[in-house]
Amino acid sequence: MASVSYESQRSRFARQAIAPSLLFLVLVAGLPTLFLIITSLTPGALVNPGSLTDFSDPFRNYTLLLSDERFTGSLWVQARLSLYTVTLQVLIGTLMALLVHAGQGRWQSLRHLFVIPMVLPPIVVAVIWKLIYTPDISPIYHAAKAMGIVLPSLTTHVDFALWAIVIADTWEWAPFTFLMVLASLQTLPTEYVEAARMDGADSLGVFWHIVLPYIAPVLLVCTLFRVIDSIKAFPLIFLLTGGGPGSVTEVTNYYAYLVAFNFGELGYSSAITVVLLSLTVLISWAAMRASRTTQSIE
Amino acid sequence: MKKHIIFWAVPLLLILMLTPFLWLLQMSFKPTPLILEFPPQLIFTPTLEHYVGLWKDGFPESFVNSLITSTASTALALLLGIPAAYALSRWSGRGKFGLGLGILLTRMAPPIAFTIPFFLAYRWLGLLDTRTGLILIYMTFNLPLVIWMMQPFFDAVPASLEEAALMDGAGFPTVFAEIVMPVASAGIAATAILCFLYAWNDFFFALILTRTDARTAPVAVVNFMNYEGWEWGKIAAGGSLVMAPVLAFSLLVRRYLVSGLTAGAVKG
Repeated sequence: MASVSYESQRSRFARQAIAPSLLFLVLVAGLPTLFLIITSLTPGALVNPGSLTDFSDPFRNYTLLLSDERFTGSLWVQARLSLYTVTLQVLIGTLMALLVHAGQGRWQSLRHLFVIPMVLPPIVVAVIWKLIYTPDISPIYHAAKAMGIVLPSLTTHVDFALWAIVIADTWEWAPFTFLMVLASLQTLPTEYVEAARMDGADSLGVFWHIVLPYIAPVLLVCTLFRVIDSIKAFPLIFLLTGGGPGSVTEVTNYYAYLVAFNFGELGYSSAITVVLLSLTVLISWAAMRASRTTQSIE
Repeated sequence: MKKHIIFWAVPLLLILMLTPFLWLLQMSFKPTPLILEFPPQLIFTPTLEHYVGLWKDGFPESFVNSLITSTASTALALLLGIPAAYALSRWSGRGKFGLGLGILLTRMAPPIAFTIPFFLAYRWLGLLDTRTGLILIYMTFNLPLVIWMMQPFFDAVPASLEEAALMDGAGFPTVFAEIVMPVASAGIAATAILCFLYAWNDFFFALILTRTDARTAPVAVVNFMNYEGWEWGKIAAGGSLVMAPVLAFSLLVRRYLVSGLTAGAVKG
């Protein structure tokens, strides 16, 4: 008898503890998602209030998307931005981690300073790079001028604008891979490395056959997380290039922002966002599976 | 020789990496006439003129808005999320996987996905440009973060502690409040700081959902770029003020940075 009431007491407490959060999550995340999908089926525009409830041609936006070159172009820009930034970040972050790990001991306490770019507010990172890329004020432009070199304005140049974003984004997020890989390296059992050394492996051999396989799952998680976050890139593009010149740096997220809040086309922007969200869900699902595998290996 | 290279490579790399950040910081203390000068003077008499200028330019209001919205959304997220995380940690009922997936998705979704519906709803409810509006939308990322971050901390509290108290006839809410919470207080502090930082760092939501009354500090900094002849001194000072609390807090929670950033997929 006592145990029955104990059980019911326990499950009642669990329900009471979870219910408010669940309700709130449905309210602030579930309902808005549903609302977004519904809005994407209307031609909703801010200038025309009635259009937000007009469902006469529900798939109009999605049909338009297929022939919208600016949209397909933005997907392509996004793909390139993600590829360049994530590759560079994972490579540089890993190299930094290997370096700090190799020189451990003396610089142990410095490693926390490496993560500063990552924890800075994203808008401050954008301001910092705005300083560096603005010719009037940038020490780099001044230095180049003093040496008689005329640098093109990176953020307004068709060929360099995307790379300007890539460099800034890599600076901001390489520390993420650094932190993850360093944590992983510190758990690498030294016996593995010693055993390989005994067998006559050189540094490169040890890295290739012992270290790399050991950190590979972490690298995978880093890559997936950074790919997902690169889809959200906003402050850098907003402040440095505004999507330009032309639409050279206009990623899908930024295009959706412009369509919704500059042109006032909320319905069409919702459709773009639904596509973007579906892509994110797919990649997240892959990330979750990958990290589950990682954990089961560990 | 090789040892030497590795030895000095670390501090050199660090200096190289932090130069852009230090550049902003030194600029915020530089007298205006020197800002555009080249070669730059690295040794100068620091001035607070830009910070004073900010003070007169309505920046304190934005700073207070940032403080209030970040603190309130953190408090609300903790209030709702902590009991939920505890329950999820203790009882693996049905729907745990589903909730985990939901939490991950809110972490992954591009902010614009929430912004459009919230913008429309707020226009209807009159919540545009209000702190309440911002606090509510910050819950979309802070509540999942709390639920995710707190679970491992509760997992680490030995169940025998609670069982002993329950045997003595204490109810579940009492056991939770008086036995479990104090043991997990370090975790609560770390989670609170991360929530605060996430809300503090937000730019996108504040840019779209506020105009003047509820404008936060990150948006205010960008607004200094709208004039003819940008006020670089003020921009640098504003940027430095926005990053100050972040730097202080993130050193405190450096151990938990990874689990906060990868919330939903990697166990902390």
